[in-house]
Amino acid sequence: MQKLLYDRFSSKMYGVCLRYIENPEDANDVMQEGFIKVYKNLSKFRGEGSFEGWIRRIFIHTSIEHYRKKVKLFNVTEVAENTIEDDNLSALDSLAVKDILSIVNELTPGYKAVFNMHVIEGYSHKEISQVLGITEGTSKSQLARAKGVLKKIIEKRFGQTESK
Amino acid sequence: MQGFKNKLYQYETPPPEEIWDHIADELTNEKVIAMHGHRKNKFLFYGVTAAASIVIIFFGSVFFKKNSSPITTAKRPAAKENQLLAEKIKDSITLNQKILKSIINNPQEKREIVSKESNPNINTKKYLTVAGPEGQPIKISPKVATLIISADNEYPPKPVWSKEIRKWQKIMLSSTTPPTSANFVDMVQLAANKEIMDND
Repeated sequence: MQKLLYDRFSSKMYGVCLRYIENPEDANDVMQEGFIKVYKNLSKFRGEGSFEGWIRRIFIHTSIEHYRKKVKLFNVTEVAENTIEDDNLSALDSLAVKDILSIVNELTPGYKAVFNMHVIEGYSHKEISQVLGITEGTSKSQLARAKGVLKKIIEKRFGQTESK
Repeated sequence: MQGFKNKLYQYETPPPEEIWDHIADELTNEKVIAMHGHRKNKFLFYGVTAAASIVIIFFGSVFFKKNSSPITTAKRPAAKENQLLAEKIKDSITLNQKILKSIINNPQEKREIVSKESNPNINTKKYLTVAGPEGQPIKISPKVATLIISADNEYPPKPVWSKEIRKWQKIMLSSTTPPTSANFVDMVQLAANKEIMDND
């Protein structure tokens, strides 16, 4: 049963791990730790929401815990949030997922965590602040800065300087 | 815009095969650890229970001993004191008898008594110290010592007057003259002389 579960979700969860943790060795550790948590907490799944969503949250939290051990997140001065519009990142749409991933992985762990959680997973800033132990304002600032960094990377790689 | 988000969200890639091996190993170890932990907890539980029981019994016994000691001392004195008293009396009686016998049977003491009787001016031992009924020292004259002897196993020791005293009683009873302090010695002397003459 454990092996079946692993076979069913391991690829997806490994993708999640690699989005948060660039280093494959660390991602492997998180995979191992995440599945152990899933097996131990299976009885706690109440059937509210999708099972995949429940497992995904476990892996996101495990990834955050992993890099929080290494990276200290500081509350930073708030900056104007969302100064970079999502449309500025539309250049990413045409890219292959591995290229997108390589660009996202150029973000610092703090920026990457907030970007992944808010933009990809759909967490609110309140939820992010609770998970990361930062203020909502810091979460918003980190997101804005992450988008700014991504924009610069995209411009650098593809010479796309136009912005709306 | 949703394109890269969906691509990243749905991104999946097969993990290295050894990850499952590590997970399987860890699950096996977890079971072993869990079993050991359970057993350890079980032993720990019994150990703590046993230790707690011993401590409770120890302190309980100390507590009861402490609390019951006044009761036992209250109950025991009668028996204990009786025993002590009996021992004391026994010692006292034994000592009295020993001393009195030694005095009575001691020729030197007898000589002293006789010499004192014959010549009161001779400075002989005036008093003898004997153990009283409670073991206390009592001074008695050597004369009294020759006249009394304590009865066996009696408390307080009753003096048993010697034959001489009984003889004096007979003399007094048989005398036609009423005995007074003034003629007492004369009557005794008279009776003694008469007895000597009868014997002769």
